[in-house]
Amino acid sequence: MTESSQHRWAEKYPELGQGPIAVESCISEDYYQREVEQIFKTSWLYVAREEEIAEPGSYKVKRLAFADTSVIVMRGKDGVVRGFHNICSHRGNTVVTETGEETFGHSKAAILSCRFHGWVYGADGALIQVPEEERFYSCFKKKENSLEAIHTEVWAGFVFINLAAEPEQNLHNFLGDYGTHMGDYPYSDLTHSYKYHTTLDCNWKIAHDSFAEAYHVTTIHAGSFPNVFSTGLSDVQLFGPHRTCAVCLNMSAEPKPVAALAQKHGRGSLVAKGGSAMLPPTINPSGREDFAFELSVAFPNLFLHISEGIWFTHQFWPLSTGRTLWEGKYYVRAPRTNSERWALEHAQLLQRNAWLEDTQTMENTHRAIASGAKKFMNLQDEEILIRHAYHVIEKRMTAVE
Amino acid sequence: MSTNLPKSFTALEPLAEAWGLPTQDARQAKRRGSSTAELQEFYDAIVPLLPQLLSHVDEFPLGELPPDSLRLYYMSLALAEIAPHIELYRGDPNVPHSFEEERFIAVNGQQSG
Repeated sequence: MTESSQHRWAEKYPELGQGPIAVESCISEDYYQREVEQIFKTSWLYVAREEEIAEPGSYKVKRLAFADTSVIVMRGKDGVVRGFHNICSHRGNTVVTETGEETFGHSKAAILSCRFHGWVYGADGALIQVPEEERFYSCFKKKENSLEAIHTEVWAGFVFINLAAEPEQNLHNFLGDYGTHMGDYPYSDLTHSYKYHTTLDCNWKIAHDSFAEAYHVTTIHAGSFPNVFSTGLSDVQLFGPHRTCAVCLNMSAEPKPVAALAQKHGRGSLVAKGGSAMLPPTINPSGREDFAFELSVAFPNLFLHISEGIWFTHQFWPLSTGRTLWEGKYYVRAPRTNSERWALEHAQLLQRNAWLEDTQTMENTHRAIASGAKKFMNLQDEEILIRHAYHVIEKRMTAVE
Repeated sequence: MSTNLPKSFTALEPLAEAWGLPTQDARQAKRRGSSTAELQEFYDAIVPLLPQLLSHVDEFPLGELPPDSLRLYYMSLALAEIAPHIELYRGDPNVPHSFEEERFIAVNGQQSG
């Protein structure tokens, strides 16, 4: 493999092939149902950061619409984070009343109390109090009516859940070399966050694909990132079902006056060259001067990006064949001064605008594919991460059948 | 509402009511509801004072600005909101070729600051 090869990634990963990819999987109801059963209900899925539930008794409820459930992840007085379905053992009400896709709460006593009839659960899920318990019959046993546990494990401060009765692998083994590659980054030191979400009328894979290449930057980001990023990827590596690469800067871009002042006052934008003090030694193995950020995907639906002083995620939650919840979360170091805070705001708003550009194509793509007029998509070599995604999904589903 | 600004920035007072907005959602809505000429007028008025403005707000600890300085600071955050539209989008009050902004929810968009 040489830098000059136009097909360097296909040469590095010949098993992925070079042919067109069928688009049927993005519009087929049957395929979607199988993805839910065979991928989303059996894979480790990122649902919370440890900082979001830092204190004993803190909890977060995350809706998992594809499985018609919500998970409560709660930190006990023992410091352990555990996960449960948000459903009461009495008559099936939600134990925590949810206010949206994500609901946060804290209980000083580290208990959960159902609002309906006041049933109380411990942070270990045990049912510890039932009002008027004596009116239930002798067949009713508190110890048989704990919250339904969901497998929950933590990697690098990322709380993952797995809905399988018995996951095939623990989280550590599931992430494998990907976990090693991305793990040694100071995620928990960068806590100043900006979060956005929307519901997109497209298949989750179409949303995934739009973020998984840099080929689009000269067209889609002509507005927000003109001449900022290279369209080719660097250091593509595939780790089982997971994938990663570096996106590099096109060093010719000169910032405009306000952008230049923002870059001077704070490290918040991918547009400016950052250092490498925070980056794990596994990142940017080519030692490229123009390295901008690592773009990685933890199968199936977590995009995790790291750069000096910045990390951010995209997640794509399937709601139906043609609907997807997208969440973008951007983290930088907490500002120490008002001017730094201003600089971070500028950086984030430009990033938001870039995400508005990214999301613009997704619904159009889905609608056009749904016409059935085209049966295949054509991928070039720098779209290798997309090719890998379809390859992994197909392999997973075939393996199960 | 008072439109007073700190002494060195009184020239910006005519713009304080329109642009001294406390939340990201409000600043975004203001930008989207403005004409190119209004964005340009605000940009041209505040940018020459921006280095001085950032020095001024740093005379106070983070998040502890007195009312006049806080109003000025909100104006600088409004500049952060509109600057890409002048510097990159040729004065378009919307992000060109973008997803519908009103469907994009900022989780903390209604918080002050």
